[in-house]
Amino acid sequence: MDRRTFLQHSGFGAGAMALQSLLRAEDGHGTLTHFTPTADRVIFLFMSGGPSQVDTFDPKPDLQRFSGEDVPESIAQTVPQIKRAGLKNLMASPWSFQRYGESGLEVSELLPETARHVDDLCVIRSMQHRNPVHGPGECVAFTGTGAGNRPSIGAWSLYGLGSANQSLPAFITMNVHTDGMQYPQAAGWGAGFLPSRFQGTEVDPRVGVRHVAMPQNTRHEDRRSQLELIEWLNRRHLASVGEHSELEARIRSYETAFRMQAAAPELFDLSDETQATRDLYGLDTAPTKVAGRTCLLARRMVQRGVRFVQARIGGWDAHGNIRANHTRMAGISDRPIAALLSDLKQQGLFESTLVVWGGEFGRTPTMEGRGNGRDHSPAGYSVWLAGGGVKGGQVIGQTDSLGYVATHRPVSPHDFHATILHALGLDANRLTYRHHGREEVPTVFGGSAVKEVFS
Amino acid sequence: MPTAPTFPPRIASRTALTWLLLCVGVAVADEPLGLADGWKMSALGGARFSIRGTGDRNNPLRRQLREPFQGAELFVQFRFQYAAAGLDEPSEGEGAGEFFVLWMDAVDGGDQASHHGGVPNVGIHVADGKNRLMVRYLASEQQFSNVEVVGDREYQVVVRLAKSQPADDHAFDRLAMWVDPLPHQLASPAAEATSKRGVTTIRWLGFATGKKTEKTDTIHVSDVRVATTWREILGLPSTVSPDPLQAPPAPPPVVRTIDFTTHVYPILKDHCLACHAGADAESGVRLDALDEVLNQVAPRDAKASHLISLVRSQDERQQMPPPGADRTPLSSEQIETLETWIDEGLAWDERLLPTPIPRTDHWAFQPIARPQVPVVKNSAWVRTPVDAFVARQHQRTGVTPAPLAPVNTLSRRLALDITGLPLDQSRRLPEMIDAEEPPDSEDAGGPSVGDSPTDKIHEHADALVEQLLGSVAYGERWGRHWLDLARWAESNGYQHNRSRPHAWRYRDYVVRSFQQDKPFDRFVLEQLAGDELPYADEHLIATGFLAAARYSGNELDHEIQRNDILVDVVNTTGQALLGITLECAQCHTHKFDPLSIRDYYRLQAFFTPGQPGNVVLQRETADTHEFIESRWQMFDAVHARLAASRRAKGYPEPVLVIPKSVFGAMKGAERAMFQRLEDEIARMPQAWGWTASANSPSGVAVAPHEMRWPLPRLRPGQAPPKTYLRIRGDVKSVGPEVQPGWPAVFGETPNQLDKPRTALARWITTAENPLTARVWVNRLWQWHFGTGLVETSGDFGTQGASPSHPELLDWLACELIESGWSTKHVQRLILRSNTFRQASTFSPENHALDPDNKTLWRWQPRRLEAEAIRDQMLAVAGLLDATSGGPSVPQSQTPSSQRRSIYLRQERDRLPESMTAFDSPAAVASCSRRRVSTVSLQPLYLLNSPFMQTVAAALAKRVRDVATSSTEQVVATFEITLSRMPDPDELARATQFLNDNSLDAFCLVMINLNEFLYTN
Repeated sequence: MDRRTFLQHSGFGAGAMALQSLLRAEDGHGTLTHFTPTADRVIFLFMSGGPSQVDTFDPKPDLQRFSGEDVPESIAQTVPQIKRAGLKNLMASPWSFQRYGESGLEVSELLPETARHVDDLCVIRSMQHRNPVHGPGECVAFTGTGAGNRPSIGAWSLYGLGSANQSLPAFITMNVHTDGMQYPQAAGWGAGFLPSRFQGTEVDPRVGVRHVAMPQNTRHEDRRSQLELIEWLNRRHLASVGEHSELEARIRSYETAFRMQAAAPELFDLSDETQATRDLYGLDTAPTKVAGRTCLLARRMVQRGVRFVQARIGGWDAHGNIRANHTRMAGISDRPIAALLSDLKQQGLFESTLVVWGGEFGRTPTMEGRGNGRDHSPAGYSVWLAGGGVKGGQVIGQTDSLGYVATHRPVSPHDFHATILHALGLDANRLTYRHHGREEVPTVFGGSAVKEVFS
Repeated sequence: MPTAPTFPPRIASRTALTWLLLCVGVAVADEPLGLADGWKMSALGGARFSIRGTGDRNNPLRRQLREPFQGAELFVQFRFQYAAAGLDEPSEGEGAGEFFVLWMDAVDGGDQASHHGGVPNVGIHVADGKNRLMVRYLASEQQFSNVEVVGDREYQVVVRLAKSQPADDHAFDRLAMWVDPLPHQLASPAAEATSKRGVTTIRWLGFATGKKTEKTDTIHVSDVRVATTWREILGLPSTVSPDPLQAPPAPPPVVRTIDFTTHVYPILKDHCLACHAGADAESGVRLDALDEVLNQVAPRDAKASHLISLVRSQDERQQMPPPGADRTPLSSEQIETLETWIDEGLAWDERLLPTPIPRTDHWAFQPIARPQVPVVKNSAWVRTPVDAFVARQHQRTGVTPAPLAPVNTLSRRLALDITGLPLDQSRRLPEMIDAEEPPDSEDAGGPSVGDSPTDKIHEHADALVEQLLGSVAYGERWGRHWLDLARWAESNGYQHNRSRPHAWRYRDYVVRSFQQDKPFDRFVLEQLAGDELPYADEHLIATGFLAAARYSGNELDHEIQRNDILVDVVNTTGQALLGITLECAQCHTHKFDPLSIRDYYRLQAFFTPGQPGNVVLQRETADTHEFIESRWQMFDAVHARLAASRRAKGYPEPVLVIPKSVFGAMKGAERAMFQRLEDEIARMPQAWGWTASANSPSGVAVAPHEMRWPLPRLRPGQAPPKTYLRIRGDVKSVGPEVQPGWPAVFGETPNQLDKPRTALARWITTAENPLTARVWVNRLWQWHFGTGLVETSGDFGTQGASPSHPELLDWLACELIESGWSTKHVQRLILRSNTFRQASTFSPENHALDPDNKTLWRWQPRRLEAEAIRDQMLAVAGLLDATSGGPSVPQSQTPSSQRRSIYLRQERDRLPESMTAFDSPAAVASCSRRRVSTVSLQPLYLLNSPFMQTVAAALAKRVRDVATSSTEQVVATFEITLSRMPDPDELARATQFLNDNSLDAFCLVMINLNEFLYTN
């Protein structure tokens, strides 16, 4: 089918069509991986604000025992000298931990739904970096440094693998529950010094891709004839100018846009989902509604070949009254996230999709002030990975007896990024982009994949 | 009369809760503790007494103090409001005007208000035909204030009655009054009077009305209080001294037991330096330079030092020196010497092992010599010397330049390039529209005067260049280019991303500077050191360049917070002005360029004493400092009170209090006063600028910028913080102290700089600096042609690209300097050249020789920037609101705004969609060159967004107004959007389209075209 025929016949509602040859302009570095990938795509569930490790995935009975006491000197001297690292008044977790699944991995009763999948989760309890502030910390979590000027892990992934669907953006980010002061950091889906086509597209899960809907008074036939005239005039212009790859790419971008007008609304239209699915995600109940829709959309996106999906669920910043805060946040997110894991399995996507969960840092095992909350702490915190070749039911790394500082197998955000890339078949140290005369890599200060994650 | 010496304090304390008056008629027992049955009145206000006139002398409201007062100073406050209905003006005739006073006396004077003459009183009397507030003992001992009383407005009156000698039997001989006072106004009452007599004891106070106070008059009185101090009467919290600036902790002094030369150097020399010295040191590890040794150690911590772990290692693969036949491991004594040396802070002998000065033979760092303008074969083509340099490259490569562009193409190109707006249709000359045919290239050019079509086109274009360079729109477009470099934005960035409501003044400063062709050296000086220059608002505003750094309001560690800002400032200064990337040198000596880690922190030292803030303009305005100081005193006092109360509740140290909690903890009167101060400060004209502490001569006031953890305030006279080398870029690894200096490769920096940043700016723009002029003319070239003569316009270092026309670059740099750093002079040389005026005509022959058009054999069509795309849309639709300058369009109004894009609010992370969709920079780091991305979200925006529908509809209306038939409408739309006529094929095709579709639909097509979005 040539381009003209395509424009004349595809119309709307045709859905995603694989017309890859038309779309080289939006492709990345290439699809040559460094080694056999264990995942084709990634869903990054980012818990903004910083969930507390000792209340979720890192049980510390000593906290119960020494509640109210100060951090003992032996541990205190290992805590990095950064502000916020409170050393007084240890606070017991308001939640008890239980062993789940065959693996018997311990999870807080705060997250009962996620806990059902524990045999599929690889929990890293020894994440560590040095930035205790949300904004830069979020940049660290997504780009490796706090400055916010380097490419995000999603952009690197896309640069490494290219797009798998030519009718949808290949890297989509959804930011939900961003109330309060939890502003998302655009660097988290930015392209940094990579070409901007590798940037994530920010999408409101309730609205979808912006401007895909045609104005109400425009009919499909009108739009088709408009696009024909645009192409006709653009081609004459191109002919007058001669060789110009950018002008050619612009002409092609109208074809992609035309397809996206059909594909994107279809993606966001949940009417073809069963009631059972809606119930699974909690789409029709108050606390889970937003995150549920976000997680379901994440599944629909990866199903349609979106390479990298980011879902940022904000609000975990439990400075005061962690019991109330984390109860609310778990209420919002636990069920939808568990549903996503179940659903990916049901759809046969789990094995080829890497799902990761975590925040920009964890929280102190001590109480902040007198408010029964915890302050920020990047010295040792937990994340998990699942699907896409991940060996579930295992724990990697360890923090001290209070859950303050990673003591065994510390994992930096760069290591974490290298791990994600590893699952995609990419070697972080060989994925290079020349910028300012340097061969830039995703792990600028060093970092290597945590290979134990994979079976 | 018994008078306790402790009387005034007792008043202060005992009356604290019940210093209120009683209404007339309430019996008051004369006993020391008194007034058990009085009212309590809320300090928040609310309760009011209503007084009515009687047309005669009357004491309608009076009350006894708990004890007679004989202390040195008595303050009384009351609020009153005179009902407008009863207030008559003295000008209304005989007997008109009003009378209402507060008196203070030893006796109550009865209902008939029979006080002795000379009793101090304060209130409304008639003077100069006005009802004025005044103070009075006697007619001969009185003073009127400037305050004229108007009806229905509440006045807060504070009175001070004082004794010039604090003795019980001395009279209260000084009387002063303030109206709506602010905390700092103690020394400037609205009126004051002295008396020779006066009363010695105050026991009663009350209000009196008189003959002029008619029965129809109503006066509301409230909030009557007494106190013994100014702060107390105003409800100000007691003062505290604020926390001192948290300077980076200086390394503790140590007693050195190790001498480098005698103890350490021999070990290094015998065991290390054979491999680890010089530029080619083994594994890049040098131990012959202090700054390099720092990379191998933890400061003053031998145990944590890499160097020690290597020499102590038992692992053969790690051990240093490496085990081998000819090498012996260090003795434990030698290792201990090294450890002590590290723990004692690395003594060094600079004479023995001097810090290496980086050297380079890289072209960009060499002095600029003025090149000869070449003589070329195609001399007829040379309009300005620019063409001669370009023609020589043509000649060398074998390419032939494209012909002169058609006049309309050229006019449109010039207009978009210079102003970012399409040429106003009305400014096009009618005879020019006919000159569609490009002239033959062989005739094209030559500076000779003639009547050929080519000459006419050039003549027209030259005039147009002058006209456009003189326009406001020029400043708006070229100023925006500079804002990219300055990573300018109107919010702090990072997570809280607070707005900077005064940042727009810098944007206007930049626009103005371009428009006026401010000499570039002056422009740099003002931006780097405006606060060190003689005071002028413009100079302060210019420092917005430095202040545009991001600023984390959620960073509790002020050392990190400050360092992040300084890093941003240094990197931006290096990138924008010098075209070098300094980022690497923050952590280690630059691997490619002659820049050491010491150079980096020496550059940082220029900026260390300063920080961004809301600088208050118009210094001559009175009270600026006082308002701000009063505001901070209140803030600090409540802050201290709250911290103390939290401490008492057992909060662990450090007890943290955020500003929001401070506001919340203010009591009623405090909050009201605080809000008044905030309002006053908000009214002051301000700019987001940069100020330094001790060495800033400008005496600039800085208004608060509220954040969760704002930077500590700079205080006059405080010692400026010192600058330390940060080992491996880690703020917490403090290395040796460094002094301000430019990179050593450029020569020595004088010691003891009086105005350091002025010196820095002067060095940057000295004619001997090889980078600044080259970098600036290259940027101008890039913005005119899309690509610079040096493609990496932000990196002139060894990793950057080589110049395509090195002599042209240097020649332009010389022209810049010799013209007095005139940007427009360089632009004229470019804009008048045949190089710039070529058509975009393709040539397969040229393409084969130079496919990337590096030699500029044609005009390279390129997409407009985001601003120009949106502005052009508005302009062709006739919607553009060309209002220039002022506060930015708020975000909520951005989608519907019709002002130029430069005036849309630039909030980091929340930039307007119309900008980010077309690659506007993120305003996070200096942007030397924008990308051009081509993604399908752009067509979606251009086809479907409400903005585009509005533009298409407005354009259609504009077309309809001038054209009726389909053919006419097609022609008109082409003219308006593309500045050209359609050719017959286009006309036919477009007319056919119009037969089946609306004109709106056709207009939408036209404003989606590549030709429309590109300069051609």
